[in-house]
Amino acid sequence: MPLRDNEPPVTMRGELRELWKFRELLKMLVTRELKIRYKNSVLGFVWSIIPPLMQVLVFTFLLRNVLGVPAKNFSAYLLSGIIPWTFFSTGIQDASQSIVINYTMIRKIYMPREAIPLANVISNGVHFLLGWLVYFVAFYVVAPFFHGGIPFLPTLIFFPFVVVMETLLVTGCALFVAALNVFYEDVKFILQTVFNLAFFIMPVLYPSDQIYYTSSLVRKHPWIFTLYMLNPIAAFINAFRHFILQPIGPSSFNQSPRLIGKPPLPFDWVTFGGACLITVLIAWGGYTYFNYRKWQFVERP
Amino acid sequence: MTSAENAIIVQNLHKHFRIRYRTHLKTRMLNILKRQPPLQEFTALHNVSFSVPRGQTVAVIGRNGSGKSTLLCLLARVYRKTGGIIQMSAEDGSPARIAPLLDLSAGFHLDLTGAENILFYGAVLGNTAREMRACFDSIVEFAELGSKVDTHLRNWNEGARLRLGFSIAVHTNPDILLVDEVLAVGDEAFQAKCYAYIRKMQSLGKTIVFVTHDLRTVERVAQRVIWLNQGNIQMDGDVGEVLQAYRVFSAGAAFTDGIS
Repeated sequence: MPLRDNEPPVTMRGELRELWKFRELLKMLVTRELKIRYKNSVLGFVWSIIPPLMQVLVFTFLLRNVLGVPAKNFSAYLLSGIIPWTFFSTGIQDASQSIVINYTMIRKIYMPREAIPLANVISNGVHFLLGWLVYFVAFYVVAPFFHGGIPFLPTLIFFPFVVVMETLLVTGCALFVAALNVFYEDVKFILQTVFNLAFFIMPVLYPSDQIYYTSSLVRKHPWIFTLYMLNPIAAFINAFRHFILQPIGPSSFNQSPRLIGKPPLPFDWVTFGGACLITVLIAWGGYTYFNYRKWQFVERP
Repeated sequence: MTSAENAIIVQNLHKHFRIRYRTHLKTRMLNILKRQPPLQEFTALHNVSFSVPRGQTVAVIGRNGSGKSTLLCLLARVYRKTGGIIQMSAEDGSPARIAPLLDLSAGFHLDLTGAENILFYGAVLGNTAREMRACFDSIVEFAELGSKVDTHLRNWNEGARLRLGFSIAVHTNPDILLVDEVLAVGDEAFQAKCYAYIRKMQSLGKTIVFVTHDLRTVERVAQRVIWLNQGNIQMDGDVGEVLQAYRVFSAGAAFTDGIS
């Protein structure tokens, strides 16, 4: 009888099967994340909703009152950018530290190591969905009583798809940075800088149309805008807005004379498809890199 | 040599480590220019082969750096081997359930209660929450925790955490126990309990591999001794025989170390 080796799997299918065997552990890791995040806090879970709400209040004040943006339902537009952005940035930043934080555990106990960053992504995903729940309750149920609210759009059926795509994106990036951070702890500082700046470059506080209409360079070379929209996080924030909210023209955000009367850009399905394809590649690449690195974690200097 | 009789079969196992020195970017660049390899290899185990019959208790001894812990980590799948084969099987030929007692409190989180940690650590060892609830009471009783189990681990003393770790690991119904120098946990009474438990595991036909420097423990528990020296098996066999040779070797090493 040939010997059956205890070697861990090497193909991606094998890795996924091994992970499935440890799904109980993944569940435990997620509940542990959720439990200890708000340990010793009186408000507990409410803390996952308060920060985005405060952000919306401050940014609404800043953009509407200080900078004079006239758009109606502005908080609905802002929040539909802030919720996916928060998942993207905190999910990746949390996961980047996860292997280092749980280092003593993986040095001594066997487990599929991807379970640790995945647990971070999933627990942040729970907050992400919770954020959307609050969003829909606020704008479909509560706001109509105050003459606000947003109409139901049939495109809402695409909403779950974008949620899945963004989760895939965060997973791929998280696995990549979690593995990289074991060897180069500069990753933390790089991520902080990148996310701080990207918050303003990505269409979080404004619709992506503004990039197209306000830059003469982009108008002269439209491919720059296509490139921008191929970036998955910009594409997904734009998609969320497009599927949930009615399109609004660029002049409702910026009343410069050259924008008056310009139509909102139509949704570009081809570019969106490209961004989805890139996302799948990122997820695949991140997992492959993690698997390549994960046996070196315990042997790092 | 079949897998029906042998719980563990190790063939031609070797493990290299790459030694990385923390260097500056400048030195690294210079090394590339000088064409010096930045990594040095270090072999922790050379072609180690042995097999452990089902139900046997094996002690692994040797000086520091002889590869004992590396061997145990490889059996526990914490390291990936460089080459060779390790097969660990249960009686029916399926992959064995392993209880790694390498570090008893490694899987714990201090901000969770004892009860939550039991479920969590159980999942780390591959058990479902239902299986863990079934043996929950006997884990708590064995670890002598009482109502403390519902408080956070942060407030526990070190001994209580180690007792809980030992208790969880041995209650997960393993086929093979891997023990690294951890039997010396807790006070004397708990140690006696651990030894009694090891005896019980032995009588139940569980296979045990343990690493220790305490030769009296070896005499007390082991049925066979593997002596590792610089990554090779120096001697493998009967407890009395190997220990005698090892004592002679250690005395000689102490003497030469002393004069040099």
